[in-house]
Amino acid sequence: MVRSIAHKEFLSTLRDRRFLVLSLLVLALLLAATLVGRRGYVALQAERAVAQETVNEQFHHQPGRHPYRVAHYGTFAFRPRAALSFLDNGLDSFTGAVVYLEAHQQNSVNFSPAQQAGSLIRFGELTVAFVLQTLVPLLLIFLCFGAFTEEREAGTLRLLLSQGVTLRQVAWGKIAGYSWAAVLVVAPALGLASILLLSGEATASSPDRWARLALFGLGYAVYFFVIIVGAVVVSARASQSRAALVTLLGCWMLGCLILPKATANLGAGLFPAITKAQLDAAVHEEAQHGINGHDPQDRRAAALKAGLLKKYGVTEEKDLPVSVAGVTMAEGEAYSSRVYQQHFADLTRTYERQNALSTWASLLNPYQAIRPLSMGLAGSDFAHYVHFQQAAEAYRYQLVQHLNGLQASMGYGDKERRLDASTWRAIPVFTYQAPPLGWALPQLALPALALLAWALGLSWLGMRLVDRSTTG
Amino acid sequence: MRLFRLLFYYEYLHFKAARGLLLLTGLLLAAGLYGIYYGTAEVARQRQHLAELPDLGRHQVAELQTKFPGPADAGDIGYYHQNYALHHPTAWAGLALGQRDVNPYYLKLRLLGLQGQLYASENVNPAKALSGNFDLAFVLVYLFPLLIIALGFNLLSSEREQGILPLLLAQPVSATQLVIAKLAFRLAVVLGLGALLSALGLYWARVPLDGRVGLWLALGGLYCLFWFGVVLLVTAWQRSSSFNAVALLGAWLTLVVLVPSLLSVYVAAARPVPQGLALTIQQREAIHSGWDRPKDETMRQFFAHYPQYRDTTTIRERFVWRWYYAFQYLGDQSAAPLARAYATGQAQRHALAQQLVWLSPALSAQLSFNALAGTDLPAHLAFQQSATRYHDALRALYYPFLFDKIPFTHADYARLPTHSFTSPTDTGAAWAGLGQLLLSVGAVYGLGLTMLRGRAITPR
Repeated sequence: MVRSIAHKEFLSTLRDRRFLVLSLLVLALLLAATLVGRRGYVALQAERAVAQETVNEQFHHQPGRHPYRVAHYGTFAFRPRAALSFLDNGLDSFTGAVVYLEAHQQNSVNFSPAQQAGSLIRFGELTVAFVLQTLVPLLLIFLCFGAFTEEREAGTLRLLLSQGVTLRQVAWGKIAGYSWAAVLVVAPALGLASILLLSGEATASSPDRWARLALFGLGYAVYFFVIIVGAVVVSARASQSRAALVTLLGCWMLGCLILPKATANLGAGLFPAITKAQLDAAVHEEAQHGINGHDPQDRRAAALKAGLLKKYGVTEEKDLPVSVAGVTMAEGEAYSSRVYQQHFADLTRTYERQNALSTWASLLNPYQAIRPLSMGLAGSDFAHYVHFQQAAEAYRYQLVQHLNGLQASMGYGDKERRLDASTWRAIPVFTYQAPPLGWALPQLALPALALLAWALGLSWLGMRLVDRSTTG
Repeated sequence: MRLFRLLFYYEYLHFKAARGLLLLTGLLLAAGLYGIYYGTAEVARQRQHLAELPDLGRHQVAELQTKFPGPADAGDIGYYHQNYALHHPTAWAGLALGQRDVNPYYLKLRLLGLQGQLYASENVNPAKALSGNFDLAFVLVYLFPLLIIALGFNLLSSEREQGILPLLLAQPVSATQLVIAKLAFRLAVVLGLGALLSALGLYWARVPLDGRVGLWLALGGLYCLFWFGVVLLVTAWQRSSSFNAVALLGAWLTLVVLVPSLLSVYVAAARPVPQGLALTIQQREAIHSGWDRPKDETMRQFFAHYPQYRDTTTIRERFVWRWYYAFQYLGDQSAAPLARAYATGQAQRHALAQQLVWLSPALSAQLSFNALAGTDLPAHLAFQQSATRYHDALRALYYPFLFDKIPFTHADYARLPTHSFTSPTDTGAAWAGLGQLLLSVGAVYGLGLTMLRGRAITPR
């Protein structure tokens, strides 16, 4: 019986002209978003790859230079976009593209797409995730709001129940039917995405990507299931179709539009972050005067020099086998990097605290569960961005320390000499390895659990409500 | 007229009894108040940070004075001393934050090459930036239409569905009069709420009372009028309440969400700005080649720009600051065409967006609000230009010290120029937006009234 109700719902949905038009529209938008997203992704990726290639070449083809010069010449780290980010832009429009890696300081990641655009970008961008997260639910609401109310208004619900089915069975039948219709709308776009992913790059066969795409699809399947069940439950409880529709549309606005913005703003207001100027000043202060304020840089340098003289059993700097300047520089870099790392971790923690409000709101709002899940799987969320920043900083630190080490090994009077051009070719360039799925998953536990809780909770509690709803 | 007043009064009674609508209006009022609070608090926070920067500067001068107790080489001071270019918000910024959260509102500048410093970004939480700002402009542009839709989706259809419409039309009242009275009441509620929130916002943000106040109110009012026009249009169609709700929400979705997001993607693709990354690479390469180039070649190139220093002594030392700053300057010069192209590209992006805003009144309203508040891309580009001039002024102050070998004394710190820039208000763009809104309002009402006249209201 459940199966035949599902079959009937599915067929009548397909015969409904309004639904056909709307779903074709959504499908067209989905396909367009997939193609446009892919194009934008390829363009940006190429732009950054060329730039990275250029600076790598430049680094390797430096003339004979003193290593300290090379440390100031530095290099750039361009953030490659994650393979699946063409489906979900996530934060990529608001995170920078390039960071300058040089001695002594940690620079900001600059040139985010949002900085290069006017306020038009704040209306949102048409991406696959946007269509899936906000427009498809709307389509599902239009599809499901009359599930029970129309049957009641037409008097067919009683007829159906007289056949010996329960309200719950009717509900599950309808949910199954609508789910098939939803699959018809969404599946072609995900299929296209898979083809694009397959035809894209040489590394397309990486299992990590396919696992991410599979979970991406699964996440949205659960999300749509939640929306369909929720809409059917509301329809069962509503007195009229109109009331069901207005309630569902109200929920949609609240969930997709108002709550995400309100929680983000509230979080930012509750946990203010420090500015770059304040952070730089604090790092400078602590590096100069010691983390505890009683260990100034000059004294640290003097102690280091005395230690070196003692270690090598000499009295004059010129008799040392190492360059004091190089060793001091290495020590200074280690110290200031440690200070910087502490402040950077504090700032990241502040941001995480700001975002926590939104993440916890996923228990109230399925939209705020699928959003972090989707961008986490696509590799465009905050955690992935911080991962890049840390990788760039780790590379910067080891590059600068390598160069300081080279300077130290040049011995006394190193400033008068240069190292051969071949030295730079031996230094490995920055290559960014995006983190694997196993790294990303634990951070997505809360939104994933929230989404599952919604699905299970609605299936259980919602169906109890359906049981108790009126029949006629 | 008496009839109109009567109808108006009954609408009021109706509204007072509808708990859902009252709740919705209350919610919107609360959202508006929060928007005003959030926007002004955010701007106050930025102001506070801007006010702290001179203190940071003074602290640093004291540090330099300890480090260089006597007359110092100006090159050392120029290398270490951090100057701040400040971008102050207008009083309006709190009402429409625009891009002020993603673009830096101050820049730390040293005497080094400018292009390496001009594009530094501020600490931004990208997740927050993605969700956007909950300011008054958001409430007006996004949420007000939703209230208008909730108030108007069953304008006549509810009476028809309840079977009251035939009774009503049996009275000496025409359908058009009825629709107009109903619209007028709802318009009064919405405009009243909008005016109340705007007045509170303007007062709270302490905006100066000039022509811009009128412009803001006119923009908000016309935007609301437009949405009532859409309601009129859908009402004239005479379909069921459910259909009306879906149609109105479809219009909202198209105009407030879909068209802008499609335009955003289109504008970015049509006007790419790859010069940002290119100029960064170019500038670094040019500056650092200065170290490897013969010094007299660098100086010859520099003197071509600054002939007044041609007579200064030939450089024989291994390192001297004036040579260092000469190749910093030449690095900027070599990146200058790319930097100009980058700024022009961004300006063209904005111009293209401005050309296309007529596609959606929501865009017209939002971009006009931002133009009025000076929080959009052009304001930031103007700030960057101003910061460039500030860097020029710094160089102009330091160069005589460097080239004429004048020692930099403690008294000279006071001679360093300071910078302050307040966002310009683009009233031209706001007027253009007002014109577009006026046209859209004319179009929807023209069409709606024609339809209402053309098809008699069917009571059932």
